[in-house]
Amino acid sequence: MQPMISRAALLLFSIMALPMVVPEPAFAQEVSQERIVKGLGKLTAAAPAIDIEILRQEAINGGDKPMSALPNWGRLAKLPQMVVEINFENDSVAIQPTSYRTLGMIADALHHPNLWDYNFLVVGHTSATGSDAHNLDLSGRRADAIKEVLATTFAVNPSRLYAVGVGEHLPIEGSKEDASVNRRVQLINLGVFKRRS
Amino acid sequence: MLNRRMLIVTIVVGTAGFGMPVAAQTLSYAEATTKLAETCGGDIQKLCKGLNLGNGRILECLQQNAAKVSAGCKGSFAQVFQSISKREEAQSSYEQTCKRDMNARCAGVKGDGFVLACLVKKEKRVSPECYQVITDAGWR
Repeated sequence: MQPMISRAALLLFSIMALPMVVPEPAFAQEVSQERIVKGLGKLTAAAPAIDIEILRQEAINGGDKPMSALPNWGRLAKLPQMVVEINFENDSVAIQPTSYRTLGMIADALHHPNLWDYNFLVVGHTSATGSDAHNLDLSGRRADAIKEVLATTFAVNPSRLYAVGVGEHLPIEGSKEDASVNRRVQLINLGVFKRRS
Repeated sequence: MLNRRMLIVTIVVGTAGFGMPVAAQTLSYAEATTKLAETCGGDIQKLCKGLNLGNGRILECLQQNAAKVSAGCKGSFAQVFQSISKREEAQSSYEQTCKRDMNARCAGVKGDGFVLACLVKKEKRVSPECYQVITDAGWR
């Protein structure tokens, strides 16, 4: 058996209902494919067009405000989304086997007919421990790694997936910047990517 | 779907190194990855340190180190990947297999999710093939 990792003990996982901004932590065991599908599928209004580079710059220059306080991120904050904790090897893009299940569950949901028409944005976050530039770079590579896993191992169409890393710049409102809760991956429903006939 | 086919090819090629595939039910990605992490997690962390799950790297690494991979991991590997590919096949053939039932039972229903919900609700009246493909796809 591999040694227990503190963060692996509890997978922070929450699904945000539409008007709600504060995530509700829950144990991973309570999370089912059905819940993910329902939570991510509640898109009621048209999603805004996004530009990854604009989002990145807005996060970097946003004065570490929570995402709801920034113009472009604020629009995304209202979309169906969920927060997952994926455990990576220290300072690496390698996802620990303890988190394979979480990725599998996300993949199952993305393959469900309720969600298969939608685009998704993977947002990588870090806590404020370590240098700003390093965190930004690492979170970007980790978000890319998640996109890659979903698009290859789990056969999700890569043109449905976007990835961006924002380092420590968009902390969870009301949390300490170095709190481990800020090391998280966010998955946001960006709306319909094509109409199936 | 090209991507899906690529995965199946990877799996077929991949399982060859690990003995004959075992007959299996379909597993979800979550179930399959849980099994993989349980039976191969130790091997992956020992033999494939720093490598990531995407793009067949872990598969390749375990094959290259086949001599050192634990028996438990080898045993479950083929089964896990075979059941994933069976589920993928079911998901890709669902629309074709259930087409007639969609037209007969759920005409006028808009949205893929709602059509599926309609077929699931009317499960007693849909064709056995369509019933089976929904089960194999993991959507019931």
